[in-house]
Amino acid sequence: MPLLKGTLNPLVLKALCLGPMHAFEIASWLADRSGGEFMIEEPALLQALHRLEERRLIVAEWGVTANNRRARYYRATAAGRAHLRAETESLKGSVAALTAVLESRTA
Amino acid sequence: MTAHRVRAGVARLFQLALRRPDRAATEADAELDAVLDAKAEYLIARGMSPEAARAEATRALGIPLDAARALVHRSARHREQRLRTRERLGEAVATCRYALRTLRRSPAFAVATIATLALAIGATTAIYTAVNAVILRPLPYTQPDRLVTIGEDNADFNWRLGDAAPANFLDWQDRVSAFRGVAAFSPFSENVTLTGFGNPRVLKATETSGNLFTVLGVRAAIGRTFEDAETWQHSGRPVALVSDRVWREVLGGKPVVGQTIRLDGRAVDVVGVLPGSFSIPGLEADIWHPFAWDPADRPRTWFRRAHFVRVVARLAPGVTSVGADAALQVVVRALQAEYPATNTRMGASLAPLHDYLIGSAERPLSVAFAAAAALLLIACSNVGNLLLVRAVARSREAALRRALGAGRSRLVVQALTESLMLALFGGVGGIVLGWWGTAALAALMPHTMLPVNDLTVDWSVLGFVGAVTLVCGIGFGIGPALWMARGRAADALKDEARGSSRSARSRRWGDALLVSQVALALALTLGAGLLVKSYDLLRRVKPGFDPNGVLAVKVDVTGPQFDSTAATSRFYDDLLSRARGLPGVESVGLVSTLPLTGPPWSSEFAVAGRPPFPRGGDVVHREVSPDYQRVMRVPLIHGRLFTDADRPGAPSVVLINETLAKAYFGGEDPIGLRVAFDRIPDSTSHWRTIVGVVGDERQTSMNEAPRSEFLAPAAQAGDDGLTLLLRTTGDPLALVGGVKRIVRAIDPDLAISSVKTMGDVRAAALARDRFLTGLFLLFATVGVVLGVVGIYGVVAQLARRRMRELGIRVALGARRWQVQWLVVRRGLALSAIGIAIGVGGAIAVIGVMRSLLYGVAPVDPLTFATVPALVLVTAALASWVPALRASRSDAAEVLRAE
Repeated sequence: MPLLKGTLNPLVLKALCLGPMHAFEIASWLADRSGGEFMIEEPALLQALHRLEERRLIVAEWGVTANNRRARYYRATAAGRAHLRAETESLKGSVAALTAVLESRTA
Repeated sequence: MTAHRVRAGVARLFQLALRRPDRAATEADAELDAVLDAKAEYLIARGMSPEAARAEATRALGIPLDAARALVHRSARHREQRLRTRERLGEAVATCRYALRTLRRSPAFAVATIATLALAIGATTAIYTAVNAVILRPLPYTQPDRLVTIGEDNADFNWRLGDAAPANFLDWQDRVSAFRGVAAFSPFSENVTLTGFGNPRVLKATETSGNLFTVLGVRAAIGRTFEDAETWQHSGRPVALVSDRVWREVLGGKPVVGQTIRLDGRAVDVVGVLPGSFSIPGLEADIWHPFAWDPADRPRTWFRRAHFVRVVARLAPGVTSVGADAALQVVVRALQAEYPATNTRMGASLAPLHDYLIGSAERPLSVAFAAAAALLLIACSNVGNLLLVRAVARSREAALRRALGAGRSRLVVQALTESLMLALFGGVGGIVLGWWGTAALAALMPHTMLPVNDLTVDWSVLGFVGAVTLVCGIGFGIGPALWMARGRAADALKDEARGSSRSARSRRWGDALLVSQVALALALTLGAGLLVKSYDLLRRVKPGFDPNGVLAVKVDVTGPQFDSTAATSRFYDDLLSRARGLPGVESVGLVSTLPLTGPPWSSEFAVAGRPPFPRGGDVVHREVSPDYQRVMRVPLIHGRLFTDADRPGAPSVVLINETLAKAYFGGEDPIGLRVAFDRIPDSTSHWRTIVGVVGDERQTSMNEAPRSEFLAPAAQAGDDGLTLLLRTTGDPLALVGGVKRIVRAIDPDLAISSVKTMGDVRAAALARDRFLTGLFLLFATVGVVLGVVGIYGVVAQLARRRMRELGIRVALGARRWQVQWLVVRRGLALSAIGIAIGVGGAIAVIGVMRSLLYGVAPVDPLTFATVPALVLVTAALASWVPALRASRSDAAEVLRAE
């Protein structure tokens, strides 16, 4: 199932608010949490991460994984967390409105 | 050691680079590979073979691997660029903050530096504003560089570019085709009284040829300018153009074109309003009339003999001013042949209009600007030296930052930022001071130095201040900045810059700055010395009259009620007798032109029964009432003064001044000789008898010798522009109210156009010299004070550096004066070099001041001997104070402190 436009950023931020992760961990976490619904292709994810970093919503640092491999770890900044909160509110509102409209029965 | 391992906070504190050079693409590749590896590992853990896992991971990208790489390269590179820009900006802000913090840590240094710079930049800005308004700004006409003035030259009278006779002007207009247009205006404005708009107001009116505005390329803001034909329209209703200022302030800015205003009681039709930007420098005029000459005058001799128009011409397209001059000379020679009675010795030449109009102001303004620039350079050297001392003191800090990985360029940038900050604050302060200074200049500068009215701080001035600030900031900062970044970090950490080659270099730079300060301060002081001497001589000049206790009141006798000479005379008789009755008045008189206010009209003359003087004679004329000499305390040398019997109808009489008596009559007694004011008298000549010789008065200025002069009785001349003079035993200004009451009692429609004491007149004649002298004294004082501070600073630093050595010397029994001499010697040596350079430089350039000096040669031996000596003594004192301190220090203590 493809992602709704504009939802990748909040999803990635959400993952990173839980703790530092590298790209593959983020992808796995999203697939896991969505019950396998959100399968994100890596190039798109990396580009999204770069853009978030550019906006200083997240910062990156090279680190070492549990398997002793080098990986670029991302973590949300204070600005990123604030951004996520705002995005969450607005998405929730959209979903509620969307639902209300699509499920209405009377003309 | 790399910056990355230094903690970010430390890196920021010491201004180290945070981001490494562009490695975005490699990093993005590594990241993509890591993701693929992680995915493959995950799949292997799920039981896939390594090859299959790898293939699946790559396939899951959704696009070919190369395309994926290209995508992440692009986003990573974009990210790096944006972040770097932002970081640079942040760095710049941090650099400025750091600089501010450093400056805040030494407030005394910061305040002293900024104040010094603000003063110097302010002074330079104010004077530049004047230079800009007068010299640099183009004249407010179309293509002003194609405009020239044509003036008449006469070696006999010492005329150069003199005002022209109207007939000659008209012939140039008709016959010289090298000009696209030739126009003329009257360079003297007259007072006219405007009635009908509140109280009667005195305005300045002048006349022009009909084509003046066409030639200048100036269009009326409202209505029209004049037409060619109006040069000759002597009958019919007079017309006028009004200045923007008068239209707004006096006429109320209402539609005025086609309306009639009353000037001197005459109805005048307003045909237009001139644009606000229009002015002719040096000519004060609110109302412009066409000449409205009578065509019958054109062939008359007087029209070629009286010189009263200023001629302006626009060069024809493609004609150079040299070409135009050649064409003009052809016509001039033709006129000399055609009109021998008037033109034999009369030449003509042309000059750029700008040069002519600005002429007298250019030299004093440029000299004032040079003085301000010298002051600015002194201030910059001073600040440069202070910064250098600081840089030496902060060498440990610099070394520490280098050890922490700060690059040389960073240190240079940081140090330059500091000096630019200082310059910036100094510049802002300078603009404020300059603004204020400009207002002060506008108030204090005599009109001869500032022949324009709008002294505005425009973009060119702000640009100038910006450039000066930048150049100053870099100029005085670059030395210390480079010095701080130089050398190896370890060296600076090891020794505290004592006696190393590094500090020797910094010393040389500091010495050079000091020498230049002393040289410039000396040159300024020499200029000031010359001006003081010149001003002092000028002040002692006796103007030929006693200005104390005399009030001068000019009443404009205008209006239809004064259309006859008899009516005017009646008015002046009435005025004199009533003024004589005012309390405290000793004596009263009338004069047509006050002394020291510029040349009155002039002519040649001849003596009855004698051949004409071979080279003519340029003699000035004034008209006076019988008691004029008594009021002004001008001595009667010989013969008699005028009496009330010298009236119209009585025999025409004149007085001559001493200069005329000596120049034309030598030892002979001139009393009883008859003269006519023509070089070659004819039947129309009017003959007058010389009845007395009076003392000389300076007619034009304090520094111009008295000219030969004829004085005629005002009553016989029937003049209407006379000035009333009252001598009182008390304060002359106390008479003003009484004089106003008298004038109103005689005729309420008359306006008083000026009231001043003769003391004011004398002061005005000294104004330019007083102003320049004051300015130079001020600049020289500030320059010398800065120089003293500079010498003190350098010597004090030297004393501090040699404290240990001096202490040992004292401990070993050296006398105090010997120790002091060791230190003073250096200050004196540097000052002596500065003085030598300053004297040499001054001798080379001070010639430009020649025209500004009275009775003093530019290289005046006395000034050139005393000023350097004084500066040297001052320098010795400035060096001796720190030396004294050094020699007093306790040897044992110094040695222990090391």
